Amino acid sequence: MSDQRQRQVDAIRRHIGEVENDLVDELVAGRIDRREFLRRGSVLGLSLSSLGVLAGCAAPNVTRVSPPQTKPPKAGGTIRTGIVAPAAALDPIMISDEGGLAVLGQSAQYLVWSDKNLTLRPVLAESWTHDHTGRVWTFKIRRGVSFSDGTPMTAEDVAATFNRLSDPKVGSNALSNFDGVLSKGNTKAIDPYTAQFTLDAPNGNFPYLVSSDNYNSVVLPKNYDGGWDKTFIGTGPWKLESFTPNQGVSYGRNPRYWGQPTVAERSEVTFYAEEQAQTLGILGNQVDVVAHYSVSGGRALITNPDVRTTQFRSSSHRQIHMRTDKEPFADKRVRQAMALLLDRRALVNGLLATKSDYGNDSPFAPVFQSTNQSVRQRQLNVAMAKQLLEAAGKGAGFSTQLLTLTHFELPDLAQVVQNDVSVAGINLKLSILDPGSYYGSSKFGTSPWLDSTMGITDYGHRGVPNLLLTAPLSSKGPWNAAHFRNPQYDQLVAHYVAALDLGAQRAAAGKIQELLLDETPVMFPYFYYFLTGARLNVSGVETTAMGHVDLSRAGFA
Amino acid sequence: MSSFGEPIGSSVTAADSPAVAEPTVGPGPDEAKVIRREHLALLLRSKTFIAGALILGFWIVCAIFGNLIAPDDPLRTNPVAALQAPSSAHLFGTDTLGRDVLSRVLVGARDILIVAPLATLLATAMGTLLGLVTGYFRGFVDDSLGRLIDAILAVPVVIVGLLSMVALGPSTVTVIFVIAVVFTPVIARTVRAAVLSEVQYEYVAAARLRNERAPYILFGEILPNVMGPVLVEFTVRLGYAIFTIATLSFLGFGIQPPAPDWGLQIYQHYGLISGGYWWPVLFPALAIASLVIGVNLLSDGISQAFER
Repeated sequence: MSDQRQRQVDAIRRHIGEVENDLVDELVAGRIDRREFLRRGSVLGLSLSSLGVLAGCAAPNVTRVSPPQTKPPKAGGTIRTGIVAPAAALDPIMISDEGGLAVLGQSAQYLVWSDKNLTLRPVLAESWTHDHTGRVWTFKIRRGVSFSDGTPMTAEDVAATFNRLSDPKVGSNALSNFDGVLSKGNTKAIDPYTAQFTLDAPNGNFPYLVSSDNYNSVVLPKNYDGGWDKTFIGTGPWKLESFTPNQGVSYGRNPRYWGQPTVAERSEVTFYAEEQAQTLGILGNQVDVVAHYSVSGGRALITNPDVRTTQFRSSSHRQIHMRTDKEPFADKRVRQAMALLLDRRALVNGLLATKSDYGNDSPFAPVFQSTNQSVRQRQLNVAMAKQLLEAAGKGAGFSTQLLTLTHFELPDLAQVVQNDVSVAGINLKLSILDPGSYYGSSKFGTSPWLDSTMGITDYGHRGVPNLLLTAPLSSKGPWNAAHFRNPQYDQLVAHYVAALDLGAQRAAAGKIQELLLDETPVMFPYFYYFLTGARLNVSGVETTAMGHVDLSRAGFA
Repeated sequence: MSSFGEPIGSSVTAADSPAVAEPTVGPGPDEAKVIRREHLALLLRSKTFIAGALILGFWIVCAIFGNLIAPDDPLRTNPVAALQAPSSAHLFGTDTLGRDVLSRVLVGARDILIVAPLATLLATAMGTLLGLVTGYFRGFVDDSLGRLIDAILAVPVVIVGLLSMVALGPSTVTVIFVIAVVFTPVIARTVRAAVLSEVQYEYVAAARLRNERAPYILFGEILPNVMGPVLVEFTVRLGYAIFTIATLSFLGFGIQPPAPDWGLQIYQHYGLISGGYWWPVLFPALAIASLVIGVNLLSDGISQAFER
């Protein structure tokens, strides 16, 4: 490292906090790579210029992989995109599906963008800092931004947005992220361009909760009172031209946009009720881009020479829950046996065509930087599974129902699980419901999902595992279909959430991973990759594993 | 016009009934036996009937002995061997879960050949009962049930099927019930028309004059003489039932996975055709087509024999 660079590094290190300096030490010691450093540094609020300088501290023998070369797009034209049809009315506060959030992100924006590498990028926030406990987070808001109706955006709009989302009376879908984290009234505008969040408890990953990962958190005007689907109001690069429910939306450039104008002149988003139709849409040149497709529904696209697929790792996954309070899964040895009977290699290589990471029966996906990689991977072991069943008094096998829904590859997964466990005499009777019937009211007692003895549920991507650790697994979790109650687990999760530095997070993560491997309330067979398809003459499309599709830089070669 | 529940002829004379105003001579018991023998002989000489019987027979053999004939376990998944093209190892290729398509086509005959005949049998039983009652009693019974039948017939079969499947939940029993309910009115109409013709014969008038009870006249006298149309209707509806089951399965509302049902196989794989994976769809589709053609040939043969 040159003397000049060293002086720059030293200057930055004198001005940053203890947690940030620990992170630099981790990088220098080679315990984390540059990518992890950038991710974690972005969460802690280090500026891009500081991150760039500090990243130079890393060992130089890092392999650089050049991205695929595509021609830069030319300005003009209409970019046509196919997405899964929104499942419900387009209300930013209530949206809970991929189609809805993909539409939301065209004309509205977040404080922070969580990109495909889980690195946070400033959008409506220019920078952020935290106090030494991680309980108070302060965000500097970008100046010169206005909504599509011309109203200037300030910190008051930010405070109103988050107080609305954290208000239990409003009942926003974002409450699943804010429950126990952020309460109504605790987001304040300190001045017109500074917003401060005082959390219910310290949280080392809080910036993710105000990012595109928490997809309801688009900044809306402080006086917003519904009717978003009439105006599509926001600060984003696109402005609504027309919207036809169940069909699609067309956009033009937003003349008041604070950033660079969009490359394409117009954008047309088409809704597809079924993935098969979406696949045929791009093959038939009806759309230029499909924002997201799965291996099961879009296998025809993977090998098609006219379509370029981009893929990246994600934490999207399937959970196979087993009721821990009910026979035949009350004994943890039975649950462990079930997990040992799963042939994960066949699932990853066959069902997912290698486009997924292995799951290890905890929400800690390999893509998360806090995942403790030293924890052993659970593998197929039929002999041990039979021993465990014998010890649990179920050597002759048993019969129970496996419930799931008609969604992507879930019915296929259910059939493979049924086949895998049959070698130990376990007879799973499949019941495959439509999504509405499966989720029911999503409340205990009136939801087949939450009340079933065993079920398979789809879980979308998150940039950090916080929500996945609490909602489906903690004792009071609203999505705890396994009815798993373990005070030790709850305590470990609280430690993990509060940890500010990566080392402490990984230590807590390791304990949680080991505990979940032992208890196995839920099987996590794989974390599948996010796949986007685009015609060869299209470039500049940026998607996230959450399902966002940024078309502002998209255009034709 | 008789009132509801008051069978014509049970307490009034034959002359009072508008349906039996001019009794005509019908076939006697011996003559009926001769006719049945002639029908059988005609059937055995009908190439159409024999071709249909051979196709149907093949699939019945597959349905009964499918597991013995199939080269592989039709339910055993092997995802790493997914979507292998037809080869000597797998003559019909493999599906998305690596299952042998030939084995699933052969064994898949069982589901459809259990569900379709059971559903059609149930529909035939209910439709025949309804047709006998409406055709014999006429009046208010005929009017009210007739309007109900018209109402059911006015709604497309698939819509009725889908609504019922959503309300009752998808299962094999539900499929049988739904198809039976949907086909009952059609069969009832045919049987009613046949009964309207039969009640004019003197053997029905004679039974009424003997003060026979209505159930006896319906099932002991009229039913044996309308069995021809009932049998033809059964075979015709059997073809439609096979097609309806396949349609419901294709729409995802029929028989549930992992059953090797043909319609379900098409539903699970049709999106792959554009990617060049045609075999998991083509072979089950050909199986459905051949079975429907077989049943229709059989039906045509029976129909021709009875028309003579």
